Amino acid sequence: MDSESLEPLSNLGEERLRLIVEAAPCGMIMVDELGLVVLVNSQVERMFGYSREELLGQSIDLLVPASVRDKHPCHRAAFLADPKARAMGVGRDLYGQRKDGSQLPVEIGLNPTMTDGERFVLASIVDITERKHSELLLEEKLLELQRSNEDLQQFAYVCSHDLQEPLRVISNYTQLLARRYSDKLDQDANDFIDFTVDATRRMQELVNDLLLYSRVDTKGKEFVNTNCSQIVAMALANLKVAIEESNAEIHCDELPAVRADSSQLLQVFQNLIGNAIKFRSSEALVVSIEAQDKGNYWIFSVKDNGQGFDMKYGERIFVIFQRLHTREMYPGSGIGLAVCKKVIERHGGTVWAESAPGKGAKFSFTMPKVVEGQRTGI
Amino acid sequence: MNRRIRVLLVEDSQADARLVVEVFKEEQINVDVDIVRDGEEAMAYLYRQRQYEDLPAPDLIILDLNMPKKDGREVLAEIKSDSALNTIPVVVLTTSQSEEDIQKCYKLHASCFVTKPLELEKFMSIIRSLDSFWFNAVRFPESI
Repeated sequence: MDSESLEPLSNLGEERLRLIVEAAPCGMIMVDELGLVVLVNSQVERMFGYSREELLGQSIDLLVPASVRDKHPCHRAAFLADPKARAMGVGRDLYGQRKDGSQLPVEIGLNPTMTDGERFVLASIVDITERKHSELLLEEKLLELQRSNEDLQQFAYVCSHDLQEPLRVISNYTQLLARRYSDKLDQDANDFIDFTVDATRRMQELVNDLLLYSRVDTKGKEFVNTNCSQIVAMALANLKVAIEESNAEIHCDELPAVRADSSQLLQVFQNLIGNAIKFRSSEALVVSIEAQDKGNYWIFSVKDNGQGFDMKYGERIFVIFQRLHTREMYPGSGIGLAVCKKVIERHGGTVWAESAPGKGAKFSFTMPKVVEGQRTGI
Repeated sequence: MNRRIRVLLVEDSQADARLVVEVFKEEQINVDVDIVRDGEEAMAYLYRQRQYEDLPAPDLIILDLNMPKKDGREVLAEIKSDSALNTIPVVVLTTSQSEEDIQKCYKLHASCFVTKPLELEKFMSIIRSLDSFWFNAVRFPESI
């Protein structure tokens, strides 16, 4: 037995000890080697519903729930065989039993102590009912949130998928109507048909994009080692026509490999480079793609010298179907950056923009460096 | 082939079935189109049961996949496992874009897999291709 760890309590004087124990904000009980209660404070009385007189001289096992009471003497003996200040029952949920038989969740700290050559154990007891309750509540809320997120994803997917059906019928028949009867109808009727055809087309685009957006999560693939230089090369190949038409000059650094869903990462680079080309200014367009090593993550960026935008829209541009221009000026439903954000977040990164009107824009995103097998993407 | 071509269109949606017929009309393609609305009906037609007793076998089947009762995949499997029917070409015409469906249909020996397009122009061009290939370029086996 390590007798040095036992503080001689006798030095304190019994009355002072009593005062200290009484003043403690948690319940405190001192028991002797046999487990008999020698000292309790009023917190314990309040917590367990026993009066001091009822506890003194009784076995501490009285406060242990009946279901585990018979094991307690063993635990006590084990503690006394190696008495060190420690928390009781680490990793287990501990409960105390009140006089009325009800139980309360507790946390217990055990301190061996020596007084007048006798060994005692001083236990501090905290009632964690409130904390348990909050933990439970938090857990429930988290589950609820997870469920509602899954529902929402499912909803978006089913919605966009099933909406395609009637939409296709509307689209085909309005077009057939226009084709077969436009010369038999007056201008108004033809205008109305045109509006319908146009709105149907727009709705199709929205539904398609919503489907694309919801698929980031529902149809995401497992993460694999992905060479970003190759991904950018593929994005540039896909954008070949736009690059040639805009005479864009593209600079791309040597990029690292990351763990990613490569087709989603391709989407990100293609969207960002595509946007740089789409929102170019009258100046000759220069786009630079680079990566910075930040220790345990990378920052990738796509920078251009295009039109740029006011940073008051810095957040809004990443929201689905948000656009800064009219459909007439620039086509598209405003899905690209929302998809980028969703993809990057799925990979454990963040995405942001820096820009000013007329000063070009720089879109950056982080990608964690992770040990193989640590992130699977599912 | 001098006789008129007979097409069996298996399609549960009235609007979609009519669209195929209207586009044939629009493109002035002269074929006889028989429409059945689900897979069970399709099999009754092909086995010449009930009201279909006196009909000749179709030259080509246009088959939707998602239908009530017996769906298109089951119909396709049944046709291709029946030696009396498996020489009839089957064009799958569906809203499905799923790779799984595409794989499955070809494995079940569909002649081709076409996704119903959103644009009428595209649909018309598909029907024109059907016409120029199936009704003009290829030879069908003699009807059984």
